[in-house]
Amino acid sequence: MKIAKLTDFSQTSVRKAWIRRLLEPISETTWDELAREIFAWQFASVPAFRRLSLAHGVTPKSLKSWSDIPAVPQQLFKREKLFAYPKPQAATIYETSGTTTGQPGRQHLLSTDIYRAVSVEAAQRVGPLNNNAQLHFLTPSPSEARQSSLSAMFGFWQKHSDQPGSSFWLHKDQFDFDGLREALIQAIAKQQPVALCGTAFSFVHLIDAWADLPCLTLPSGSWILETGGFKGRSREIAKDELYAHLAQLFTVPNYAIWNEYGMSELSSQAYAHGTHGLHGTPPWTRVLVCDPATGREVALGQHGLIRWYDLANVDSVFALQTLDLAERTPLGFRLIGRLPRTEPRGCSLSAEDLAVSQAAHSLESIA
Amino acid sequence: MTTRQRLDLLAHAYPRLFPRAELVRLLRTQLGHIDALDNWFKRDGVRLRARAPKLLYHVCAGNLVVSAQTSIGLGLLLGSHNIVKLPGDRDDASTRTEILRFIKGLPAPLRKLVETHRTLDAKTLQQADVVIAFGSDATMATLRAQTRWNQKFIAHGHALSLLWISEPNQLTPALARNCATDILTYDQLGCLSPQAIYVPRGTNIGSLGDKLASAMEQQWKKITPKPSRPLSIASKICEARDVAHALGHRVWLPPGKHLGWTIIHDPDTTFQPSPLHGVIYLRQVAEAKLSTALASVAGRISTVGIAGEFSAGGISSRLENVFLSLGVSRLCPAGRMQYPPLTWHHEGRPVLADLVTWIDSE
Repeated sequence: MKIAKLTDFSQTSVRKAWIRRLLEPISETTWDELAREIFAWQFASVPAFRRLSLAHGVTPKSLKSWSDIPAVPQQLFKREKLFAYPKPQAATIYETSGTTTGQPGRQHLLSTDIYRAVSVEAAQRVGPLNNNAQLHFLTPSPSEARQSSLSAMFGFWQKHSDQPGSSFWLHKDQFDFDGLREALIQAIAKQQPVALCGTAFSFVHLIDAWADLPCLTLPSGSWILETGGFKGRSREIAKDELYAHLAQLFTVPNYAIWNEYGMSELSSQAYAHGTHGLHGTPPWTRVLVCDPATGREVALGQHGLIRWYDLANVDSVFALQTLDLAERTPLGFRLIGRLPRTEPRGCSLSAEDLAVSQAAHSLESIA
Repeated sequence: MTTRQRLDLLAHAYPRLFPRAELVRLLRTQLGHIDALDNWFKRDGVRLRARAPKLLYHVCAGNLVVSAQTSIGLGLLLGSHNIVKLPGDRDDASTRTEILRFIKGLPAPLRKLVETHRTLDAKTLQQADVVIAFGSDATMATLRAQTRWNQKFIAHGHALSLLWISEPNQLTPALARNCATDILTYDQLGCLSPQAIYVPRGTNIGSLGDKLASAMEQQWKKITPKPSRPLSIASKICEARDVAHALGHRVWLPPGKHLGWTIIHDPDTTFQPSPLHGVIYLRQVAEAKLSTALASVAGRISTVGIAGEFSAGGISSRLENVFLSLGVSRLCPAGRMQYPPLTWHHEGRPVLADLVTWIDSE
């Protein structure tokens, strides 16, 4: 039984070395060593993670396999500051949307160095990012949305690709679709490949706004990246319908449309292309499709909940249990979506109902 | 068919759900006379007669069969024609099946007064004299928008219930069993199911949790068939357990960590809804601060079950006043939360008197 040494991730030199190790080829043995190392660190420095691990009877000393490490529920990021340092203030705090219960989850980072490195690298290795495309983002810029990990990631991509003309097209909650169209027309004239990146709801707004305009033919090598759900911010349409609309609107093949699956609580992302593509993950992560009742992986072909192990998530907790439903396949996982609220509905008040009712009450008070 | 005949048929078909004596009491207390629907009777020198609604439209929720059964039963007692909108396809089909089984088990003269619909029929809904609906607040708002201005609309939207243990340090095994019955009946899905147990300051939480855990396991063993725990439910239970562990809260789990029940001591006194399905929060609060702890759900608390010397004034009048000021509509002994008498005031309203209209002959 190996007991990992205790690494101090507050040291800049350690963080740089960690990034190097993550980006190097990672064998199963190395992955196991790295997982033990980060677990030992976070077990020692994140009290909530330590308490959860102890409740599951898992400690760095007793750990048999990295897959035995318990994953913190995503919900915990809404209840507790999960930050591996005694410092009162994190350099960066990213917030989740908080649309379900009205309370956002918070990811505290000591520095964005690791997030920057892995979010660019993952998008290149398993996603569509390359240095050829001019990037257009249907989100606010990082300076306008400092709490958004998505805007931050797109900002890292923009800086990394360094393509002239790359831009953010959401300012003060207003999309500048006219400006975007003009920029796309110019790129088309130059046969400059472009990439359009945004949330599902932003694309719905775009489709609606351009419903009466002619379709565009994006240059070869162009791609579209969609992420996240609708979260009540637009009408909802099914994924295959959304992709069909986008493929038609921009004259791109279905496989040139990518889905990014990530979350504020993590540093790494998974990518899939086409409507039914499997998600690929970078080598410094592992995704298990688990049965919550047993805590174990479901059998191949079965549905379960996605559990992330992300070695890049050193500042909070690297093991995260989501409520996202997926099918386990021999080649990875097929994301189905957020676990639907399928229990019998009725008169009993739930947390979601209470949040909705309190939000409505506070709106009435304001009015 | 007279009221007495319908009463007899109903009580004979479902004696546990509709005990004869309780039906008689219901008619007497809420309509003033057992034959008030069939004959004139005198009250304060005035001749009175009750008129039943011709058409009742019941919108049933997917969580609980008993509310639908009671609602239909009362409609039958009145002799109304009952249209039953069954729970939709997005809900668990078992409630729908049980409602249909209940209707099938009615004697033929009553069964012919019931008609089931799989989808909401807005036209028929508007034709009904009374609409009785169970479900979420959102469902109630949608239905209300479809009703006529002069139509009776009896809405049972979101509500919750609680247990209060007066003397937790002296909790007997019998009282602990009563609490477990309240929590685990109907898999905690109804609005009469307690979502939290409140106890006074000074409680030995460890000892109380142990007693309740033992009672919960005993009660769980008695339940057949066991409620299902599909992925969506299992995930909520496990999430609640893991969040509690991570926050350092005391958690009591069943042997083998099965998903039947969970007790969590949350030091935060503020009410938070439980994920249900056997997950109960134990909260300790000074009586003087109970009002604040429950402020977020004031007006939504249906029932408070009291574990203690309930009949002998086990709760102080100050505590009673706190519950009344929070809009609680029913106080009852622990173990009875899920079994209100037919004569109860559901959310403060008389269940039978609310449905009828009156003819006065002066």
